[in-house]
Amino acid sequence: MLNKKGGGLLLTAAMLAGVFVYMLFVSAQRASAIPAFARKYQTSCTTCHSNYPELNDFGEAFKKNGFKFPKDDEVFVKDAPVMLGSKAQKEAFPGAVYPGEIPGSIPLGFRYSGFFTMNNKRPMGLGYTPRTDMFTPNTFTIISAGSFGQNISFWIDDDVSTGGSGADGGLGDGYLKFNDLGHYLKLPKDTLNVRFGQFELDLPFSEARSVYPSGYDIFDQVSVAGGYPPTGLLPTTNNPFTLGAPQRGIEIGGYPNDGNFSWSIAVVNGSNDGLAARNSKDVYARISQKFNLERDSASRKDVQAAGPTGPRDHTSIRVGAFYYYGRNVQNIGSQTYSYLGAIREPFYRVGTDLRFKYRHAELFGVLMYAHDRNHLIDTEAGTIASGLPVTYSGGFAGLNYWLYPWMIASLRYDAVNSPADYYNGMSRNMTRNRITPGLQILVRSNIKVVTEYQRGWEQPNPDGPNPFFRANTFVTGIDYSF
Amino acid sequence: MKTISRLVLAVAGCVALAGMAFTAQAGEIKGKVSVQGIKSAANIAVYVDEIAGKTFPAPAEHVVIDQIKMSFVPKVTVVLKGTTVDFLNSDPVGHNVYWPSISGNKKLQHNLGTWPKGQKKPFQFNDLGVASLLCNVHPEMSGYLVVVATPYFAVTGKDGSFEIKGVPAGTYTLKTWSEDGKPTTQSITVGEGAATAEITVKK
Repeated sequence: MLNKKGGGLLLTAAMLAGVFVYMLFVSAQRASAIPAFARKYQTSCTTCHSNYPELNDFGEAFKKNGFKFPKDDEVFVKDAPVMLGSKAQKEAFPGAVYPGEIPGSIPLGFRYSGFFTMNNKRPMGLGYTPRTDMFTPNTFTIISAGSFGQNISFWIDDDVSTGGSGADGGLGDGYLKFNDLGHYLKLPKDTLNVRFGQFELDLPFSEARSVYPSGYDIFDQVSVAGGYPPTGLLPTTNNPFTLGAPQRGIEIGGYPNDGNFSWSIAVVNGSNDGLAARNSKDVYARISQKFNLERDSASRKDVQAAGPTGPRDHTSIRVGAFYYYGRNVQNIGSQTYSYLGAIREPFYRVGTDLRFKYRHAELFGVLMYAHDRNHLIDTEAGTIASGLPVTYSGGFAGLNYWLYPWMIASLRYDAVNSPADYYNGMSRNMTRNRITPGLQILVRSNIKVVTEYQRGWEQPNPDGPNPFFRANTFVTGIDYSF
Repeated sequence: MKTISRLVLAVAGCVALAGMAFTAQAGEIKGKVSVQGIKSAANIAVYVDEIAGKTFPAPAEHVVIDQIKMSFVPKVTVVLKGTTVDFLNSDPVGHNVYWPSISGNKKLQHNLGTWPKGQKKPFQFNDLGVASLLCNVHPEMSGYLVVVATPYFAVTGKDGSFEIKGVPAGTYTLKTWSEDGKPTTQSITVGEGAATAEITVKK
């Protein structure tokens, strides 16, 4: 909880943020800044984004169509592609290289984000960290995406500076995707796509392209065996896997039924740091179904609903489920425990999600359960036996509300129940909660001011056996792309 | 009887001659608009302002403004007060047409909603002024509708040239409106032939 002095600093910071926003509105020249897709089609970011990078219904259809307009794409392209062979060359195949195309201009976009953060005071004895920090994380991202013709699309994004969102200062997504391969098998449109490379898993809510400065706690949670009541045995689970981190692998999936049904199965390394840590590969699967609740049948079939004041997102409910299975491996080559072989510990994550959209409101949530096999090592006897699994659960629920097309209020609740964290002294209780109100203001379609306050209920525990501190944090900053 | 017939014929002949004379006296206004501080002289509305004591009936024929490739076509349209404009959507995406005001009068704002490709929505413009046409889902789209009091108007071409035909002889106030420039006003006298106007629009 912030004290009086902290409250005064908070008020000052809020006032400064307000002045900053006002100055951006009244003093900025009319901007024509446009990232790669906006440049290709000479259209505003708001054509596809309700609050970038979050996509509206049109943007989702654009993405699912391999980064092309859902209908008559060639009519809208203002930057003609470079043809790598005429269309007639198709007839010459396999006697000639199959013709393709590349974007006319290099499809580069840039994004910068930097935030001012302020934490409440850290208790004495727990070390020193500054209460405020200017523009951290300070992230510059290069984004390139587009299509190589009718059925091939690509995406590459790289955080150049440290503390990058979802990628820790490195390559985020870098993949090639073949769209609508099911066409060759006479399947309905977009039933089968394949992508290769590094990519964020098909999560119900993206961490890499989230609108919030803070991640979803449940997606960032790891499994580390806690200090169980002393038995003289050593638990082994130490799984660094997080659901929100990008993965390297192959994913097949599809969006049949006009994109209302979505499925994906990915086979991945299990991590993206350096070389693969183990021989086994992990599997991730997800399905979701969107129920379009528009009363007018013509409006239901269209990409966006026909509202009385203009096109808008469909009123809809989307429900989904996901499952991740992997096998963490430790003591490879008996490097840690010479008397034991490799310790293989299967783990899984399973969850369900919901998203409800109605006019200016969006309600969403995830529930997830995690389970890691655990072992107990008797270091004196030199033996290993099964132990109680390490589990955790939790999720988040939130609401976004568009007060104006350029002003979005948000409220989110995150909860993680992790007995292991409690035993490890990482949490005062077995369950930790956080509520995060926020406000985002689109100063322009490509520039926004982001503010949120992360408030937990854990009080510092300087006198306990494992002192820890989880700060309440006020974050405000700028995010722009061009 | 013969005398009356001759008299009727003579009067009819005079009326016809008078009509021909009136027609012969309808001239035109030609000219060119040049610009200072503005990128282009194209799409500038040139029109004869209100004529005291004279009103004009609204045309029966509708004017069409289309939406093609995410643009309003034409970008600038001038209509006589009372004209009905049909807003057509020729794009395979949903569009919306609205104007937040007419010449700053927000009470005259209107939103026509959304309609699919191939359909059109009509609206009769009964108030003088300029309406900025917008689409709320594609903010880069904009068009302008200038509602004027007389049927004597034109929109400049790429080189700024314009031609207004059928203007009766007389002295009038000639005005311009453009997206980026300040409005201009000047007097012009139209005789039997073409009157020439050289107009400069400044930022």
